[in-house]
Amino acid sequence: MSSIIAYFTNATGSSPGAQGTTFQWIAYIAGQYKFMFLQAAWVTVYVAFLGTILGFLIGFLVGIVNSTKIEPDDNVVKKALLRIVKVIIAIYVEIFRDTPMIVQGMVLYYGLRDNNVMVTSIVAGVLVIMLNTGAYMGETVRAGINSIDPGQTEGALAMGESHFGTMFYVVLPQAIRNIVPEMCNTFLTNLKETSVLNVIGVTELFLMAKTAGGAYYKYYESYLVISVIYLVMCFVFNRIFRVLEKKMKGSKDYVLAAEYMNTDE
Amino acid sequence: MPAETVIEVKNLVKNFGEHQVLRKIDFSISKGEVVCVIGASGSGKSTLLRCINHLETPTAGQILFHGKEVKNTQKDLSAYRSKVGMVFQSFNLFANMTVLKNCMFGTTKILHLPKEEAHSRAIQHLKEVGMAPYINARPDQLSGGQKQRVAIARALCMNPEVLLFDEPTSALDPEMVGEVLNVMRDLASKGLTMIVVTHEMGFARDVSSRTIFMDQGYVVEDESPDVLFVHPKNERTKAFLSRYMSDQQQT
Repeated sequence: MSSIIAYFTNATGSSPGAQGTTFQWIAYIAGQYKFMFLQAAWVTVYVAFLGTILGFLIGFLVGIVNSTKIEPDDNVVKKALLRIVKVIIAIYVEIFRDTPMIVQGMVLYYGLRDNNVMVTSIVAGVLVIMLNTGAYMGETVRAGINSIDPGQTEGALAMGESHFGTMFYVVLPQAIRNIVPEMCNTFLTNLKETSVLNVIGVTELFLMAKTAGGAYYKYYESYLVISVIYLVMCFVFNRIFRVLEKKMKGSKDYVLAAEYMNTDE
Repeated sequence: MPAETVIEVKNLVKNFGEHQVLRKIDFSISKGEVVCVIGASGSGKSTLLRCINHLETPTAGQILFHGKEVKNTQKDLSAYRSKVGMVFQSFNLFANMTVLKNCMFGTTKILHLPKEEAHSRAIQHLKEVGMAPYINARPDQLSGGQKQRVAIARALCMNPEVLLFDEPTSALDPEMVGEVLNVMRDLASKGLTMIVVTHEMGFARDVSSRTIFMDQGYVVEDESPDVLFVHPKNERTKAFLSRYMSDQQQT
């Protein structure tokens, strides 16, 4: 590996110079900044992963509340509470779906800091991804819950299970299975979308490429390097998710319990 | 000897919007009785059953369980429903659980029985319906008749005082109707109190201790099957039964 890099970088480790080819520059920048790119790739995955997981939690809350119907014979307090929470959620979802994430990042980061909440850019970045994911996942979760046959709910209620228990033991496990592919998609989208967080100084891949490219005025080469990194990361995660989804589906076969076979009649 | 009344329905009315589905229903069921409810589609039979279980909240009227009104609160409903089981037309087995887990759900999560007891109850009732070898299967791997037998076993695991059947064989292929009806016959002969909404006239005639004929939201006739099927008093009952008989002769 080092011999290949050495070949491209004139064996001396100095920059290819004005006569250097694109390939030489790519290899040079990749070699010079390899640890920083790795570090930035880690930050990218870290921010995307944490933001997505926390966002899912918000999404589940939003989806569960939105799929809860207000029954005519609920008591007044429950009705009022549910209505207020639903309005708050509607406002939150609308705001985050109708503004660009890059703008949300600026508003949140500088807004918090100007009010003496000294968040780091990473924390602000995770917050932005989280709130965005929550706003979009809420609708997915609601649809996932509504896609479950009402008979499943009735089956549990008719045995004496509470609404909460029915949701927790019967409906949600089935809904989650339906929305797992969408959850994986959201994570991959977030992995790429973290690039807008460079505007608030999150040292993810985009900001690193900007720094590396800026040092030599070689932006094309620098961004090509991170393109490859994004591509490899997304490809690998995509494959992992596919295997997981297949595993979750389970086998079509089942084993008959032989110990109860002859006592059947 | 008057047996103890288990469920009493008083002045039950159910509206869906403008449409009145049940118009002042009165009826009761005593311990050990098997009551079959027959009638044309849309006569309100299923709604009556769903109201008894409070899956539909009655618009007016009362449901009494051992003489005590069942109130529309979570606590009351949970206690009541755990004693009044229900078997559905569409089975409603939990799709995310195996046959065994389905049968242990109520006993562990609602009755909070120890695991061993829940397990032995599940096996006992699955044996009763002939489904014990299938404990590891998921509902989507079973036939309709098998699913319904598991659903009956699941309801039995709760040791219900009354079991409600909402057209248990209507979603089944003809060749599977028999296996489910046999299980139900078996339960009736063991003295289980049952309310069965059904289109199976043969079953109603042979098994029920009382048959109720419903039409347009009214209980038109409430009689022993020997009387109702042989000498129906009401014109509407006669019309329904003769239509049914002629249909059967054609097929």
